[in-house]
Amino acid sequence: MRRTGVIENTRGLGLHDHACWAYDDLNDFRCRAREFLAEGLGLGQQVWYVAQGDAEPLVDDLRDLDGMDLALRVGAARVVSVESAYPAGTVVDPVAQARAFVTAATQAQMAGFTGLRVAADTTPLVRTADQLDAFARYECVVDRCIARYPLSGMCAYNRQQLGEEVIAQLACLHPNINGGTAQFRLHAANHAAASLNGELDMTTVELLSLALQRADLQPDGDELVIDAAGLTFIDHRALLMLADRTGRMHKTVVLQTDWPGAAPLVECLDLKEVRVEPPEWR
Amino acid sequence: MFHGAAVYSSDDELMNIVVPFLQAGLEIGAPSMVVLSEQHSELVRSAMPDMSQLSFLRDPYLRPASVIKSVQQFLTGHILEGARQVRILGEVPHPGVGMPWEWWARYEATVNHAFDQSPVRVLCLYDQRITPGDVLDDVTQTHPYLMTADGHHIVNDRYRRPEAFLTQSRPTYSDPLEAAPPLIELRDPVPLAARQAVREAGSTTRLPVADVEGLVIAVCEALTNSICHGRPPVQLCLWANPDRVVVTVTDCGAGPTDPFAGLLPAATGPPGGLGLWLAHQLCSLVTLEKTKDAFTVRLVAGKPASCHLDAVKADAAAPPPRG
Repeated sequence: MRRTGVIENTRGLGLHDHACWAYDDLNDFRCRAREFLAEGLGLGQQVWYVAQGDAEPLVDDLRDLDGMDLALRVGAARVVSVESAYPAGTVVDPVAQARAFVTAATQAQMAGFTGLRVAADTTPLVRTADQLDAFARYECVVDRCIARYPLSGMCAYNRQQLGEEVIAQLACLHPNINGGTAQFRLHAANHAAASLNGELDMTTVELLSLALQRADLQPDGDELVIDAAGLTFIDHRALLMLADRTGRMHKTVVLQTDWPGAAPLVECLDLKEVRVEPPEWR
Repeated sequence: MFHGAAVYSSDDELMNIVVPFLQAGLEIGAPSMVVLSEQHSELVRSAMPDMSQLSFLRDPYLRPASVIKSVQQFLTGHILEGARQVRILGEVPHPGVGMPWEWWARYEATVNHAFDQSPVRVLCLYDQRITPGDVLDDVTQTHPYLMTADGHHIVNDRYRRPEAFLTQSRPTYSDPLEAAPPLIELRDPVPLAARQAVREAGSTTRLPVADVEGLVIAVCEALTNSICHGRPPVQLCLWANPDRVVVTVTDCGAGPTDPFAGLLPAATGPPGGLGLWLAHQLCSLVTLEKTKDAFTVRLVAGKPASCHLDAVKADAAAPPPRG
């Protein structure tokens, strides 16, 4: 099962896990990337370190990790400069970019690795509004790929450079986030259209609206099933937003949650487009 | 619509009023919803020759917003099935039966607006022997018709339009727990902090989790209204004993402009109305209090203090209860 929650470090994440790490200084990013990649090597994954700056000095960020020298020599580890891979101002193509990682993960498996693990500081790819929107959509697409293919990823963003609002827009699309970045998380789930966790209220209305647009959730038949096992609060604004989006498709939202407020709220609002069920894993 | 009040002082008087009301409904095929105590329901069952059009609700009136919604559903359902009229017969709670009156007074006024153009006849019953005088005074101001003990009705010349009744200055309600300093006091809290405070307090009580989460939703809605539509600072105060949690949310604004806020949904009306309406359906008591420079929403989970308004004032002067 994919791990989901608020994390204090990037240790203990396995295949299919996807984390967002907002950092305030570069040393914090390096530290989290190193622990994330070192565990990946231990799990037999090919690891990629994608960061800002020239590739050669970036190698030094990793070199003292156990086994990293050898890994770099034999291709088990790879260092990529963001600037060389993505020229300034690049607006990513969400699907093409995600497809590239799936291909790389498949090739890593064919080469004998258990999968591909990428730690990337993608701050330069979300500096403009267009870049941010495209990359946020990419985060949704790649999260679905990570849930399905032998991939794991750590996406790092510089909070000082991007600001809290941009960080929240990106963090809320990840299953794992560090504290204080987003109040809720909307991300991929294997057995549902999406997972929705955390708390949704007046402070998250715009963020949820953006997240829903970018995630572009697709119903399965007549229902849009949302695994909300980690949902601990949703106010009527967020609930009406979910109902409205699916109502326009003439579909029903199935909210799988054991939060005791959900069913009474749906009943009070008489929302025919929303059905509350216990979480499926029970 | 017809909205009448009947004040009776014996079971015989009650039956003299109730039976003709229901009988008249039966004669024109009008379905009736009956919301009485079990004892009075039994009396009605034994007195009515034909029960086919009568629906007895097992639960008494608990929350006015939910009652209005139920009546609307009852009305709509039967009209769609071809009924030309429906009848509602009920005993409205008040301090004489151990329930606070504030939101039921607003209910009685709001019914006149909610069903103004509807083919519904609503008869509200009050036992003179146990109904406080100030409640009866409100009853007189909120019912366009009064039933006499012989089952006839007269036009009530003391009736006030609901907007006028609801916007007048009224006695304020407070819970006896409020005589003590609050357990939690937050100034300008974000909704997440307010929810955490309510959950923390709720976890120390005997209340079911569902009741606590209902209060969590209601507090969040009241706070959201204060932040979005009121004026700062916003003050949240919380009191609790093992059986009850009381929260007040106060801002420096004028409160909702809609006199029916809380009892009727206002999704397309003035802002904030939907949240208050939800709060009225999820709490065991919601009171609204406007003063010259503040607006307070009081939200209660657990059985509200069973006291008369005057008794509340007396309790407030007494030492705080333990808990």
